[in-house]
This record gives sequence, C-alpha cells and structure tokens, in this order.
Amino acid sequence: MEELARGVAEALRMLLAFDPEIYEIVGLSLRVSLSSVLFSTLLGVPLGVLYGLHQFPGKNLLIRITYTLMSLPPVIAGLVVFLFIMRKGPLGFLRLSFTPTAMIIAQICLVTPIIVGLTYNAVKEKAPRVKQLAATLGAGRGEAVKLLIFEVRTGILAALVTGTGRAISEVGAVMLVGGNIVGKTRVMTTYIAQLQRMGNYDRAIAVGIVLLLIAFLLNAVLYQMQERQGRA
Amino acid sequence: MKIQIQQLKKDAGGRRILELPSFSIEDGAFYGIVGSNGAGKTTLLNIIGGLDQATEGRILYGENAVEELPRKEVTMVFQQPYLLRTTTEKNIAYPLKIRGFAEKEIKKRVKELAEELGLSSLLHQKAWTLSAGEMQKTALARALSFHPRLLLLDEPTANIDPATTAEIERILRKINKEEGVTILFITHNLAQARRLCGKCAFFHKGKLVEEGESAALLTVPSMELTQRFVAGELLI
Repeated sequence: MEELARGVAEALRMLLAFDPEIYEIVGLSLRVSLSSVLFSTLLGVPLGVLYGLHQFPGKNLLIRITYTLMSLPPVIAGLVVFLFIMRKGPLGFLRLSFTPTAMIIAQICLVTPIIVGLTYNAVKEKAPRVKQLAATLGAGRGEAVKLLIFEVRTGILAALVTGTGRAISEVGAVMLVGGNIVGKTRVMTTYIAQLQRMGNYDRAIAVGIVLLLIAFLLNAVLYQMQERQGRA
Repeated sequence: MKIQIQQLKKDAGGRRILELPSFSIEDGAFYGIVGSNGAGKTTLLNIIGGLDQATEGRILYGENAVEELPRKEVTMVFQQPYLLRTTTEKNIAYPLKIRGFAEKEIKKRVKELAEELGLSSLLHQKAWTLSAGEMQKTALARALSFHPRLLLLDEPTANIDPATTAEIERILRKINKEEGVTILFITHNLAQARRLCGKCAFFHKGKLVEEGESAALLTVPSMELTQRFVAGELLI
C-alpha cells in the first residue's frame, strides 16, 4: 500500500513538474494509439457496414474470423507484424522494425477487428428497417447507406470507444515491434513493464495513474460525443 | 395512380402464399383490403411497394402502365413506423431533403403538415419520446411530405387511440379527395373500412374471395366465406 501512496504522489509530481520524459512518453503513446484508431476506423467502419448490409459467399466465415480476432492476444499480433517487418521478413526492406510506424501497424491489427465487429453488430440490427424505410421514401442506394450510417452512429462511436481503450492499454504488441527504445518507441505501457522489472514501483504506479487518467479523458470525450449523437 | 395486378403469385417457404386473379385499383381510389391474419394482405402491399417480389405475374403502375415501380411517387406507412433517431421535424423533412428541395420550401411544407396533423408543438421533440399516436402521425406526415400519388397503408391505426385514429382518417380522406392520392389500405377494422374505403377486397389464405363496393361487401356480402368473416366467425 505504501508503494501505491508514493505512486500517487509521484504521478502528481511528474505532471505538475512537467517532467519532460513523461510528457514525451505520453505524447508518443497518444500518437501511436490515436493513429491506429484513426486508420482502423477508416478501414473498419466501411467493412462493418459492408458485412451488415450485404450477403456474399464466405460472409459467415469472415464474421467468425472477425469475432475471433476481436480477442486476438496482443503478443500474437505483435509477433506476426514483427515477422513481416523484421530485416529478413517479406517487408524487411521497408526498415520498419522498432519504429512508431511498426507499433501503429501492430495496433491496427488489434483495433480493426473490434471496430469491424461492433459496427457490423450495430448495422445488422438496424439495417432491415432502415433499408425498408429508405425504399419506401424513395431514397436511392447511396442515400440509404448514408441514412443507415446516420442511424447507427452511436454504435460506431461505441466501437471507437472500445477500440481506443484497447489501443491505449495494450503492451504486448508495441513491446514486440517497438522494442521500448528510450526516446524512440517507449510508450506508457512498455515503460510501466520495464519499471516493474527494475523494481521502481513508485514510478511504475505513477505512470499507470497517468495512463488511466488519459484513458479516462479519451473515453469521456468519446462518451460525450456518443451521448450527444444519441440525443441528436 | 392506377394499379393493375395481373395474375400475381407468390411462393415462400415452399408453399404458395398468394395467388390472385387480375384486378385493378383505379386512379384516386380509396381501396381497402380486409381478411384474417395470413390472408396475404401485407404480402400484396409489399409487392406493390417494391419491398418484395412476386414469383409469377406482374404489377403495372399508372396510366402508362409501367412495370418499374415509380419509387419517387409511392410510399408506405406501417403499423409500427420506424422513425429516424432525430427530431420530428427532421423526420418529416427527410424525403424532401433527398429530393433536393430548398431549405425554405422544406420548412414551409413541414410547417404545413405539422399544423394539419397537430404536430406543431412537437417539431423539436426527439422522435423516440413521442407517443404511439404521435409517432404514427409523424410517419404519415413524412410519407405525405413529397405529395405521393400512391399511398400504401398497412394497419396504420391498429395501435392508436380513437381520437388520433379519427384525426388520421380525416387526413386520409382529405388527401384522397382533394389531392387525388390513390390509397391502398389494409385494416382489420371493418367499421373503419366501411367509413373510409370506396371499394374493398376480402382476402383469405392468399386468395381474393370477393371484391366490391365497401358498403355492400362489408354488409351483405355475396360469398359465404365473406359472410362468415363479416359475422365475426374465426376462419381457419
């Protein structure tokens, strides 16, 4: 319990003293997580809508794979990405190993299935009635899709909230492909793991508290958006 | 808009659920369809409205008898309407928006319909907070916003209180008489069918049993099956 109390005090000190190391780590954590959520959204929302709206051969298999990947262990995502981008891997020529870009790619692999799966669930539930309504009001195909996205907007935002939570809190994937290099690929979660190994519990707890605060703020913003959209 | 139904058949789940002879619904008619559950009323309405496809036969729309449904001129209202997750005003305005009407025209038409249907004080209210009657009136206002030529109604007053039902009936009569909108109306309420519909058809187990003037058909029907239905007998 003493460590916990000291950790809280250390967290406050780091934040109020504008500790450059911690701000750099927080900055990179946000850059990596928000970039991966952005790319996953651009990829995942259209895919979720496509799955929810259309019937095509192999759809059931794809959905089962998506659901399985929603709980993909981060270390597996990290390992697969690492095997592709390592020097001898098929994408080794891109020299992405131990870079923030590699960390973003690994997180995209983790977050995209979550956004696809949750968007698909939201669309599947509403699509029949929205399509029917669109048809009875004379809406064309494009208008019907726009209307459907409007109607499932709270579900899509819920997918973003979940995806952001996954991205900001995972450690396995970014550790494997990023390597936790000081000033280059060190993010909050990998830093906590390292501090724990070094026995620096106070600082580990402090960084953990900062991570929780950031996760809380990100979720609060997205939740507020979701609430506003729900009421709109 | 005149509707010609030509030898329409519909199969589902390995059995025939609708088999109709050729008949037509005249332009400007207020036409009722009555019958027990499973009679094929909604199936016919869905086929006419383009939500379902016939297995055999065809439907012709309008005086020029086109097979393609003129989507911009036909609309439907269901027993349980789906309202968009937004305000009453935006629900009513939606069909006009997608038809590219100017904002000023949209506001004018929405105001006009809201006044007509007693929705003026509810325009800024969220659709999901409306009562069942208000929801149905909003769905009707939305359907009427773009001046359809054919209105397909599937038991629109089934869950509505008598006062709101009377209000909806008044509007339907008005648009039928004054604007010449053809209305195809499914109901289980025979008194309502008598009040509203010039002509009526009685369906049973996917077949058209009898068709004629509502006053006669629903009072002194000629077919035995219709007589039993009108008398309130449970037809199996």
